[in-house]
Amino acid sequence: MKSNIKKFFFTKMLVGIAAIAMLSSCVNDQSSKKYKDAVDIPVNQEMIAELTSPPFVPTPVGKRMAKKLIVDLEIQEREGEMTSGVKYIYWTFGGTVPGSFIRTRVGDEIEFHLKNHPDNKLPHNIDLHAVNGPGGGAESSFVAPGHEKVFSFKVLNPGLYVYHCATAPVGMHIANGMYGLILVEPEGGLEPVDKEYYIMQGDFYTEGKYGERGLQAFDMQKAIDENADYVVFNGHVGAMTGDNAITANVGETVRLFVGNGGPNLVSSFHVIGEIFDKVYVEGGDLVNDNVQTTLIPAGGAAIVEFKVEVPGTFILVDHSIFRAFNKGALGMLKVGGEENEKVFAGEIHDGIYLPEGSVIQSMPSLDRNKEKEEVKALSFEEKMKFGKDKYMATCVACHQGNGQGIPNAFPPLANSDYLNADVDRAIDIVLHGLSGEITVNGKKYNSVMTAQALSDQDVANVLTYVYNSWGNNKTDVTPEMVEAVRNK
Amino acid sequence: MKYYSTALFLLLSLFCKLSAQNDKMAMVEGGVYLPLYGAEGKTVKVEPFLMDVHPVTNADYLKFVQENPKWKKSNVKSLFADKSYLSKWTDDTTFTGLKDAPVNNVSWFAAKNYCECQGKRLPTMDEWEYAAMANENVPDARKIKAYNQYILNWYETPKTFNQPVGSTFKNYYGIYDLHGLVWEWTQDFNTVLISGESRKDVDKDANLFCGSAAIGASDLMNYAAFMRYAFRGSMKARYSSQNLGFRCAKDIEN
Amino acid sequence: MINKLKYIFIAASLVAISCNNTAKDTEATAENATEQATDNAISDMSIYNLPSNWTTQDGNEIELKELKGKVLAMVMIYTSCQAACPRLVADMRNIEKQIPEDKIDDVQFVFVSIDPKTDTPERLTEFALENKMEDDKWLFLRGTEDDTREFAAVLAVNYKKISPMDFSHSNIISVFNQAGELAHQQEGLGVDNKETVQAIIDLAK
Repeated sequence: MKSNIKKFFFTKMLVGIAAIAMLSSCVNDQSSKKYKDAVDIPVNQEMIAELTSPPFVPTPVGKRMAKKLIVDLEIQEREGEMTSGVKYIYWTFGGTVPGSFIRTRVGDEIEFHLKNHPDNKLPHNIDLHAVNGPGGGAESSFVAPGHEKVFSFKVLNPGLYVYHCATAPVGMHIANGMYGLILVEPEGGLEPVDKEYYIMQGDFYTEGKYGERGLQAFDMQKAIDENADYVVFNGHVGAMTGDNAITANVGETVRLFVGNGGPNLVSSFHVIGEIFDKVYVEGGDLVNDNVQTTLIPAGGAAIVEFKVEVPGTFILVDHSIFRAFNKGALGMLKVGGEENEKVFAGEIHDGIYLPEGSVIQSMPSLDRNKEKEEVKALSFEEKMKFGKDKYMATCVACHQGNGQGIPNAFPPLANSDYLNADVDRAIDIVLHGLSGEITVNGKKYNSVMTAQALSDQDVANVLTYVYNSWGNNKTDVTPEMVEAVRNK
Repeated sequence: MKYYSTALFLLLSLFCKLSAQNDKMAMVEGGVYLPLYGAEGKTVKVEPFLMDVHPVTNADYLKFVQENPKWKKSNVKSLFADKSYLSKWTDDTTFTGLKDAPVNNVSWFAAKNYCECQGKRLPTMDEWEYAAMANENVPDARKIKAYNQYILNWYETPKTFNQPVGSTFKNYYGIYDLHGLVWEWTQDFNTVLISGESRKDVDKDANLFCGSAAIGASDLMNYAAFMRYAFRGSMKARYSSQNLGFRCAKDIEN
Repeated sequence: MINKLKYIFIAASLVAISCNNTAKDTEATAENATEQATDNAISDMSIYNLPSNWTTQDGNEIELKELKGKVLAMVMIYTSCQAACPRLVADMRNIEKQIPEDKIDDVQFVFVSIDPKTDTPERLTEFALENKMEDDKWLFLRGTEDDTREFAAVLAVNYKKISPMDFSHSNIISVFNQAGELAHQQEGLGVDNKETVQAIIDLAK
């Protein structure tokens, strides 16, 4: 894999850097001289800042001196996909949510170019929490569509900081995705690690319910009520699952730069099956060791580090758990490499921690008859299409894109003996959820599936899609079958 | 004083061919309303006035620059228009986009002069906001959720500028497209002191700007207006923008 | 008729142009007889493109163009203002104090009223007296409401009438060079005016 080459290269680079540092310690006035005040750190040379889209981060600063760093960021208002079949107009710093990652070191002088694309409808600005100055730069950077503003500042405090738009109505600009992270590394840089990634949580508010198809408008009332339809990592459902999962190899140390754009919700960031060896609490200097879940405030960040000892898929969640399984706050870290029986023997089932134990809480479905007329799936082809959309919106996180499930955590739906044995049981599970131990294709699973609040037509569509994919028995599930189970 | 303004008018008319075009105007009955932005809790009286039924179109504007060459793309003084002025026109007399789509990328100076050459003027911000409160049926629809959602939705919809005028709803006064195609210049757009640091703008620091204008965003209906005021606050008179056009207004002559 | 008028204009404006102009030049320009001719000596970015007439504190009518050739330090205020304007006036005075003797004659300090209704020439004269600004280097101007709004638009000064007595306004001091082009702006109250002073000194002869 690529990472091996990378690692080799990295080690070489470190040796190289160390050698250079030793050679040049007498020449290099910066590393030999300690500045009491970061304001006094001189800058030499200009450099265009490398900006990256999530989940990637720019090259570490290492031992480089403070420089004049040119940051060139373009604001784009553009349509994206919140989840399969659901479109949303995102407002972005650099075309992605979260915006481009900015990596600096203490003493850098940042010359910030904020460009507002002429196609945009709205003025915007940027408030960087790393700035010492009024509004974090918000006032100096207020820029009309088709214009560019330039302002500059010196970064004085090391840490991981949020940046966001602060144009009225501020809440709306943030709710539409206008946030990102800027890292200020200390003198000499952060300790080198094997893998670094960029993750940012955000909450979204749409006119339609979770998964409702079509272009969804922002819903101001829900935002004010703090009633989020989507809580996601990196801007949309599935941004970090399946093929988009982040990766590492056994034995590597992983560092995650985790931010929370909000606008409203606080994140209880947790990686299922891992303990954070180190957490830079709130992105500052304080280091806490051996942490299970770290709290990241809205408009705040944290740096977490952990070594991965065993292979498998590790699931990143906001441990306000309904957000993870019903609103999208779920990502994956896939670790490849050799099993390590000492660390994890595999006979102990990796269960999902759920405070209520095995009680399943079903969503009250009042007013079922008053529900909005849904698009009726007429033909089998349409049922498959709508079923797939629904699957990609609600099931894919656990059961995966090809129904393969996740070993030891979520059972497969592909070639599934358990599924093909009893269609009514399958319908019942979708309607009412399931917990307790089951055996699927000879492997035991013991986790929790919550009841899904879907209409009869939706359940029929999604199950028809599942039964007619991945080598299952091609059952065609009808709304009537679902209704019969519901009324049992 | 009077004598001088007459002289000034003569001077202006030397450089401005008067020609009325797109003459359809609708009467907006005046009234009193509480604007989003202004002296705190103070209502504003809007006198009855006439307003263009449609925004000024590409075709209208082409005619104007042909009659008044100093507003052609290659002639315009940079004091009165920045580089984005008519930036999508391929030359002085060729616009891109539909003939009857609203003209965009024009500066405030250009819009103001256009209206003066028609014997009209730009609407004041209060007039514009007052007329724009109306939906199809009522003069003040600001409390109607669907109406607000309609406005917010178009603010989030990209590339609405190249649609023909008249393609949105006809409001209570018979005026089209106040919401749905482009933002519009107003005569006194620069009465908005929104600094871009919106969190500070709500701080009523009277010492900072003398009598401080206040923004009351106590309820939902104001969010659409909020965005309009923020947009105005970000503009300068030389600026122009792809999503910004204009229409003219007129006093009612007794 | 119109042509004749223009001719007079051109002739008048040419008188104002520096004496180096030979008769030949004058003829050449007159031949062109376009509206451009009047603006020949000013660039596209000059405020002297604004065709507005103003009244001074002495009740004289002037055109903006008449200020050409001096460095301008300019601020928009209104005289009945109790909060920001006294500080802006103090800022202007501070700036004036820091201009060396040999340069001061090349600088004109201009106050433009955003409340022309209240700020009559009489009121402006009083205001100049109160503030001990009777010297010629202090100039107070009022125009029509429309011209004032347009002038503010050029300076990117925003203002709004809040009550019959009060305006809300940006606090911006602008510096223009001898050709009427904006050279520097400082925004805020009681801010460090070092850069503004330097800009004036650099421009003044």
